Amino acid sequence: MNIIQVVLVQIVWILSTYFIIVFLLALLKNKNRLYDSPALENNEKLSRVSIIISAYNEEEKIADSIESLRLIDYPKELYEVIIVNDGSTDKTKDVAIKYADGTNIIFIDNAKNKGKAACLNQGIAIAKGSYVACMDADSVVPKDILKKIVPYFRNKEIGAVTVSVEVKHVNNFLQKIIQLEYKLGLSLFLRVFSLFDCIHVTPGPFSIYRKSVLEKIDNFDVNNITEDLEIAYRIHKSGYKIANCMNTCVETITPHNFRGLYRQRRRWYSGALMTLWQHKGMLLRKKSGLFGYFIPFNYALITFGLGLFLLFFYLSISNLIKYISLYSLTNYNFFSNLTWELDLLGISILAVFGISGIIGMIAIVTFGLNAIRNSPAKKISLYFGYFLLFILYQFFWLSSFFLVLFRRKVRW
Amino acid sequence: MVNKKIFVTAAIITLILFISIYSLNFFLNSQREKIVIDKMEDILDEYQEIQVLSLMSDVFGSEMSCLSLESTLAHLDRTLWDTGIKIDRYREATEGFLTDPFYLKQKRKFNRNEVLYFSMLKEMKDWCEFNRTVILFFYKKKEDCPDCDAQSFVLTDINKEIGPEIALFSFDSDLDLPSIKTLGLFYKITSYPCIVIEDETHCGLYDKGQLTDLLCDYKDLSLCS
Repeated sequence: MNIIQVVLVQIVWILSTYFIIVFLLALLKNKNRLYDSPALENNEKLSRVSIIISAYNEEEKIADSIESLRLIDYPKELYEVIIVNDGSTDKTKDVAIKYADGTNIIFIDNAKNKGKAACLNQGIAIAKGSYVACMDADSVVPKDILKKIVPYFRNKEIGAVTVSVEVKHVNNFLQKIIQLEYKLGLSLFLRVFSLFDCIHVTPGPFSIYRKSVLEKIDNFDVNNITEDLEIAYRIHKSGYKIANCMNTCVETITPHNFRGLYRQRRRWYSGALMTLWQHKGMLLRKKSGLFGYFIPFNYALITFGLGLFLLFFYLSISNLIKYISLYSLTNYNFFSNLTWELDLLGISILAVFGISGIIGMIAIVTFGLNAIRNSPAKKISLYFGYFLLFILYQFFWLSSFFLVLFRRKVRW
Repeated sequence: MVNKKIFVTAAIITLILFISIYSLNFFLNSQREKIVIDKMEDILDEYQEIQVLSLMSDVFGSEMSCLSLESTLAHLDRTLWDTGIKIDRYREATEGFLTDPFYLKQKRKFNRNEVLYFSMLKEMKDWCEFNRTVILFFYKKKEDCPDCDAQSFVLTDINKEIGPEIALFSFDSDLDLPSIKTLGLFYKITSYPCIVIEDETHCGLYDKGQLTDLLCDYKDLSLCS
C-alpha cells in the first residue's frame, strides 16, 4: 500500500469530480442560453471602437487580418485600426503600411522589438475609441464582431468581453485535437466560467476592453509574458466583470507540430504561474469574489494532478524496466505470463477511481460538443487524441513549473 | 449568473459518488473473500477425497485407487495453483488501498494446505509410481529477497509450458509456519530464493535456460527436447 498514491488519487478525484459536476450542472442549466447575447437597440448610438494589432514577423498573415477588419459591419467613422509593428525583421512593415491611411488605419513602426504588451499600450495611448479591441496579427474576425460585442458594454459592470476562439486552418490530426480543445477550453469553458464571473483570461487573438478600465488599471503589464491572462486578474481586482460572447468568434492560427505546441504552452503555463504568484494577494479573499476561490481551486487541481501523473509515470517506467528484466530471464517469452481471463474482482479501487475520472472526462467532452454549434464529429480518435494531448500537457506543466521555480527566461 | 446552490448540489453529488465507490469497494472485497473461502473449501473437499481414496487403496488395492488418485491430485494441483494466483491478485487489488488481515490469514491456510498436499504427493509417489517432477520454491518478501519475484516469474513460465509434467509448490517463509520451517530445515534452505527439485536443493536465481538444464538432469521432460 502506497499512502502517497492513495491520498493523491483521492484528492485529485474529489477536486476533478467536483469541478466536472459544477461545470456540467451549469452547462445543462444554461444550455439554451449559451448563444444569447444582448442585441443592438433600435437607433442605439454606437460608440467608437479602436482595434489594435501588434505584429512581429507576420508578413504572411497580417494582410488577411487587416482585410477582415476592413470588412467589419460597423460605421467606418466609428472604428479605427491601429497597427503596431514590433520591430519585425521580415516584410510585415511593407505589407501593413500599404493599408495605412492615417485616419481609419494608423500604422506605428517600432524600430526595435518591445514586446506585445508594450505595443498594445502604445496603441491604447493613441486610441480614440471608448472600447479598445486587441487582436493578434495572425487572426481574422467575422463582419459582425463589433455589433455583437459592443452591446455588452451597456452593462457598466462589464470591463471586457471575450469571444469564441476558433482554429483557422486544420491541416493535421494535432490541429484537429487543438481545434476541439479551443472549442471547449477557449469558447465553451469561458462561457460557463462567465456564468460564475470567473473568466481568467481575455484571449489574445481577439478581446475587447472598456478603455476607461484599461486606463484605470494602467493598461497591459509589459513585464508579463501572458499579458492577456494577467490583465484579466486586474480587471477582476478593480471590480469589473468579464463577459463572454459565443455568438461570434475569432479565427486564429495554431501550432502545427509538437515543437510549436510546446513553445506555445510553455509560455502560457509559465506565464500563468508567474501571474498567479504576482496576484497571490487576490487568492482566497472574499473581496475577489468567486474568482478568488476559483483560481486556487484550479491550480490545486493542476498541481495535485501533475503530482499524481508523475507518480504513475514513475511507477509505469519502473514496472516497464522490471518486466523487461523479468522477461530477459525467460528469453522474452512474452505470452507465458499473460492471462486472458477477465476477472472484474481483480480491479482495485484505485483503478475504479481512475476509470470514473476517464468517464468524467468523456462526459465533459461529449456534453460540451453537444452544447456548441459546428462541433466536430464525435470520433473515438478525437477523444483518444484529446486524452493523449491531456497527458502531453502534464509534461508541459512540469517544464513550466521548472522554468518558473528556477527563474529561467521564457521567450515568445 | 448561476445560482450559488449549484456548488452545494455538486458537493452532494460528489460525496454520493465517493461513497458509492467506497461501497463498491466493500462489495468487491466481500466477493473476493467469498471466492477465496470457496476455493479453500474446494481444496479441503479434495483432500478428503484423497484421504478416502487412500483408505480405499488399503482395502481394494493400490492399482485401482491409483488411477483415481492421480486424476484427483492433478485436479488439486490446478486448484492449488489457481487459488494461489487468486489470493495474490486479490490481495494486490485490496491492499493497493487498504491492508486486509484476511489475505494474510488465507495465505497461511493456503501454505499449510500446500505442505499437506506435498506430503500426500510424496507418499503417493511411492505407492502409485507417479512420475511428476516435484519442485519446491521457497521465497521471502521483496525486502529480504530481491530475486524472489524474478524466480517466481521464471517458475510461472515453466509451469505454463509443462504444467502437467511437474508439481510445483511455493512456500512463503515469512509466514513463520512450523511446517514450512521444518521443510526448510529438512532441505537445508539457507538463502532465498531456493528451489528443491526431487529433494535436491538449489539456492540462488536461475533463469529459464539454467532451470531447464537442471530439470532435464532429473527427467526427460518435453522442455528438454
